[in-house]
Amino acid sequence: MPEARRTSEALDGHHFEVVVIGAGMAGLASALRLAMFGKSVLLLEKHYVVGGLNSFFARGGRKFDVGLHAVTNFPPNGSAKVSPLIRLCRQLRIPFEELALSPQSFSRVAFPDVDLRFDNEFSFFLSEVERLFPREQDRFQKLLRTMEAFDAYSPEVAGDVSARSILGEHLQEPLLIEILLCPTCYYGSAVENDIDFASFVMLFDAIFRQGLARPLDGIRRFLDPILKRYEELGGKRRMNLGVKRIFTKNDKVERLELDNGESIFADHVISTCGVVETEQMLSSASADVKTDDIGRISILESIAVFKEQPADFGWEETIVFYNDADFFRYERPYELTDPRSGVICIPNNYRYPEGEQMPEGQLRVTCLANYDKWVALDENNYRLQKEICRKAMLDVALGYLPNGKSIGKDLEERTELLDIFSPRTITKFTGHLDGALYGSPRKSRDGSTPFGNLYLAGADQGYVGIVGAMLGGVAIANNRILRGD
Amino acid sequence: MDKEKVKKIVLDIIAEIAPDEDLTDVKSEIRLRDQLDLDSMDFLDIVMELRKQHGIEVPEAEYRQLESLDSSAEYLFPKFEAKAVA
Ligand SMILES: Cc1cc2nc3c(=O)[nH]c(=O)nc-3n(C[C@H](O)[C@H](O)[C@H](O)COP(=O)(O)OP(=O)(O)OC[C@H]3O[C@@H](n4cnc5c(N)ncnc54)[C@H](O)[C@@H]3O)c2cc1C
Repeated sequence: MPEARRTSEALDGHHFEVVVIGAGMAGLASALRLAMFGKSVLLLEKHYVVGGLNSFFARGGRKFDVGLHAVTNFPPNGSAKVSPLIRLCRQLRIPFEELALSPQSFSRVAFPDVDLRFDNEFSFFLSEVERLFPREQDRFQKLLRTMEAFDAYSPEVAGDVSARSILGEHLQEPLLIEILLCPTCYYGSAVENDIDFASFVMLFDAIFRQGLARPLDGIRRFLDPILKRYEELGGKRRMNLGVKRIFTKNDKVERLELDNGESIFADHVISTCGVVETEQMLSSASADVKTDDIGRISILESIAVFKEQPADFGWEETIVFYNDADFFRYERPYELTDPRSGVICIPNNYRYPEGEQMPEGQLRVTCLANYDKWVALDENNYRLQKEICRKAMLDVALGYLPNGKSIGKDLEERTELLDIFSPRTITKFTGHLDGALYGSPRKSRDGSTPFGNLYLAGADQGYVGIVGAMLGGVAIANNRILRGD
Repeated sequence: MDKEKVKKIVLDIIAEIAPDEDLTDVKSEIRLRDQLDLDSMDFLDIVMELRKQHGIEVPEAEYRQLESLDSSAEYLFPKFEAKAVA
């Protein structure tokens, strides 16, 4: 197989029915979906691994996932079919069991005086809201009904309705509003201090109404079956080869120029690299980018690996969304990072099958970060600051774990391996401008662009996360290409 | 080819795209949506599989004809017949 890839034939002058730019979750899903129905598809990826924000890497003899904390939308007991994850498996004809997902233990949203727990039983989440906010009961129920009546997945849905304002119309306790915004923003808002209502509903359902899970072997459990099927169906894929320029004529894409200078032709082009990033590749691109269109949300993520299982320290939870004030700030910080709020993930704490477990403990912590500040650092300072920020982040995060402060004292010595992932890393590996985690605030729900045969899929459709990006890719393949045939 | 065969073809396709559905008791006259958990994406797949496996085209405006097994059989049978003759 590696042989075949190395001696890959020249592409120059070739024509494909569909070219998919980017082999992240959205690109993989749309390419597979199209290959299933006999389209000639070329999937181009400029990086050397697939997965985009959800790829994997090796460090110190260990394998890590880049962006997998939790697979959302895990179908709750007894109502499996309502989950978009099941829809996705059907559309890609991948048996749900093949993903080998194990559910979370429980997770928390931790604010100064409130610690809300949830697991994959929605009724438990509801009882926690009731316990902590008894006076909000009727209003919260009304909010749930508003959300249920809202078709968040519709391609026609308005993408610019503020969730903060809708929550404000329904609820009276500001703290409950912040507690609902914190996990949903972290899992998918491209705008600062808010999230659009459609994404809010999708993510609320994805996290609370459905649930969190993870395969023991990580993201490759998702990537491998997709690649295998895609290849069996004859889909073509090229790694280490990006699209450089998109030549347009009369409102249509005419030709794509690749990084190696070759030119290819396609009836349809699906770009998963982002709305602004795609516009910049257009031959007709104007030099000035509207800076408002570039996403401002980026992150610093640290991973610590140690010998013990986290449960041995008394850390049983899977995810903790924490915030040290009553108001949740979700914005580009003034400093390199803002350690006052973040997300902890302990991947060991999924309920893996009896007798199976990750061999070492892992603690992942994510905080918001300022892209401009990180790129301004020279190499030495970059390394130094990564270390300083990591420590500051960990220091706060440990305060949200049981006995975290005291256990944390010698955690450094126990640590076998550290890794850190900055806004610069995101841009380097995905090409996303400004290290924007969830893309641009300007979304194109139906994937349309001013060019009739060029569509956007993934994050800048407003479909985020692993399941979201894949559903977005499938929707574009269906609605833009297969349906119109 | 007869209408029962057409129903079987449609059911086989549903079994393929929705392996998690129990198809043992599907009633011919009742809308598929009302007895199974199928959405518009699944109906698109039924159409795509009809084309892929049998060369039968169903234009988008006529997807509704596949509402139930009975209506599918009525609608698809002439198409299968025409194929067999051709
Ligand atoms: C640290 C971290 C943790 C996360 N945790 C979770 C989680 O727990 N759960 C969850 O659901 N989601 C999580 N996410 C979010 C999730 O990873 C993303 O929302 C999703 O993967 C986006 O997929 P995408 O296909 O839209 O975009 P991307 O993954 O960005 O894919 C775009 C691809 O296009 C390629 N590309 C760009 N330009 C070109 C070009 N010119 N030519 C060719 N190829 C190009 C890029 O290299 C990339 O592979 C996390 C993300 C990060 C970074």
